[in-house]
Amino acid sequence: MTAALELDAVKKSFGGVTAVNGVSLRLEPGRIYGLIGPNGSGKTTLFNCITGVERRDAGRIFFQGERIDGLKPWQIAVKGVGRTFQVTRVFPELSALENLLVVTRGDRAAAERRGRELLAFVKLEQLAGEYAGNLSYGQQKLVEFVRVLMRDPSLVLLDEPAAGVNRTLLNDLLEAVRRLRDEGRTVLLVEHDMKVVMGLCEVVFVLDHGDKIAEGPPGIIQADERVIEAYFGR
Amino acid sequence: MSPARLFQGGLVVVAAALAVYPFFGTGYGVRALLQLFMWIALAGSWNLISGLTGYVSFGHVAFFGAGAYTAAILITNAGWSWPLACAAAGVAACGLALLIGYPCLRLKGPYFAIAMLGLNEVLRALVSYFEGLTGGGSGLSLPTLQASVPIYYVMGLCAAAVTALTYVIITSRFGLRLMTIREDEVAAEAMGIDTARHKLYAFLLSAVGPGIVGGLAARDQGYIEPISVFPLATTITMIVMVLFGGKGTVWGPVLGAVILFVSQEVVWARFPYVHQLLFGAIIVAVVLLMPRGVLGILQIKYRLPRTV
Ligand SMILES: Nc1ncnc2c1ncn2[C@@H]1O[C@H](COP(=O)(O)OP(=O)(O)OP(=O)(O)O)[C@@H](O)[C@H]1O
Ligand SMILES: [Mg+2]
Repeated sequence: MTAALELDAVKKSFGGVTAVNGVSLRLEPGRIYGLIGPNGSGKTTLFNCITGVERRDAGRIFFQGERIDGLKPWQIAVKGVGRTFQVTRVFPELSALENLLVVTRGDRAAAERRGRELLAFVKLEQLAGEYAGNLSYGQQKLVEFVRVLMRDPSLVLLDEPAAGVNRTLLNDLLEAVRRLRDEGRTVLLVEHDMKVVMGLCEVVFVLDHGDKIAEGPPGIIQADERVIEAYFGR
Repeated sequence: MSPARLFQGGLVVVAAALAVYPFFGTGYGVRALLQLFMWIALAGSWNLISGLTGYVSFGHVAFFGAGAYTAAILITNAGWSWPLACAAAGVAACGLALLIGYPCLRLKGPYFAIAMLGLNEVLRALVSYFEGLTGGGSGLSLPTLQASVPIYYVMGLCAAAVTALTYVIITSRFGLRLMTIREDEVAAEAMGIDTARHKLYAFLLSAVGPGIVGGLAARDQGYIEPISVFPLATTITMIVMVLFGGKGTVWGPVLGAVILFVSQEVVWARFPYVHQLLFGAIIVAVVLLMPRGVLGILQIKYRLPRTV
């Protein structure tokens, strides 16, 4: 089967800092993957390379067997790669609903219905008309999450989706991520909360200083010496 | 009656009054309104690119000047009728926007603003250089023609068309996508919005109005020279009008143009020396005290839609 996403020795540096140091990985369709690592280990940079926000220095990236490194970010998104940002990037002076509408084309009434449905799903239907910039940080995270779904992506990259989202909504959010998987989508998420990672991910990749140091089911990863070392030092 | 109905009714009354005005009004009144229409069209056009996408064009008068020279040359050298020449002026401005928009819109923030400023200076220099065609620094006189009233109507239509176009764009998802560029271009791209293409479309649309209006102004004044059709002050006036009225809204540019133009005509004309000073003070006051403009403040405070 073609991989949902395949990275072959992807490398990215900023000046003297090597943020991603030749990372290779493979995501099978319809599964949830985790990407963990200490602060500054290159997780966000890897997301940026995949989505074209940053141009990788070397290596190849394939989405559903098709090479996407070198494409513009919007082209990658249109192909079916959706993402959220670690620090939310909603459109502040667009309403919550408009934030979702911008990516739609064709039947507007249907798009608005779908948008309201998604907002209702994250319990924000009452705030549909509010400027996104006026929402709380957690609410903005949720708007950003459902905004990604408007495009019906087959690969979803989530950069710390749970950070700042309250406990009750968190369970809904995790449930939503599982549902994405059940619908056949592939999910790759960065998360610092190990409970979330354990509960959600089938396979976890561990980055440290831009190197992939481990890969496997979360239970095994947690016991891995190199991982413990990366997190807690010698 | 709902406020919306009342507003629509008011618009119809104003439009009807303006339509019959030349039959009753003074020559001075017709000329003043003609200029007001011109400012509404110019400010509204600037709003399309800069108010919506946030790409501040500091040389938008370049399209006005290009339109003015296109129309003037076609009328004088090729003997075109003025309506046709002014239509061609709109096309020429659009062509110019296509030529420069492609490279310049890749520039971010202040770099784009400066590039547009440069474009205007280059055009002015070019026009001065090609004396054979443009008359160079000594300018170009158009054949005499008394056409203030027809030009009044066409100018009014231009103002109405730019405002209507703004309404259509702002209420559409295309308009929302333009605003995402202003709000967060990186996020817009990541959401699958082809920002380069959207910016270019907005830029082309924003150039047509100034092109046509430039042609009309040239015909109306009967004489143009480089310094009269490429002045930086015109761009600045457009910007101030939009900022004062409320950028990114339908009626902001109209309101800004009306208030600033009328105060200029009525009040400042009596104090010619403090005129420039007042204008500068208004710029500073707007930027400091109400950067979102009159309608922008109302929108934030009362959550009015952008169409108000
Ligand atoms: N645009 C940039 N310019 C310069 N350096 C950068 C840039 N983006 C990231 N870096 C550097 O690259 C390294 C990896 O950063 P990255 O944000 O990818 O880490 P991360 O794993 O997402 O960290 P965190 O868990 O804190 O979010 C860091 O050393 C960071 O300082
Ligand atoms: Mg990060």
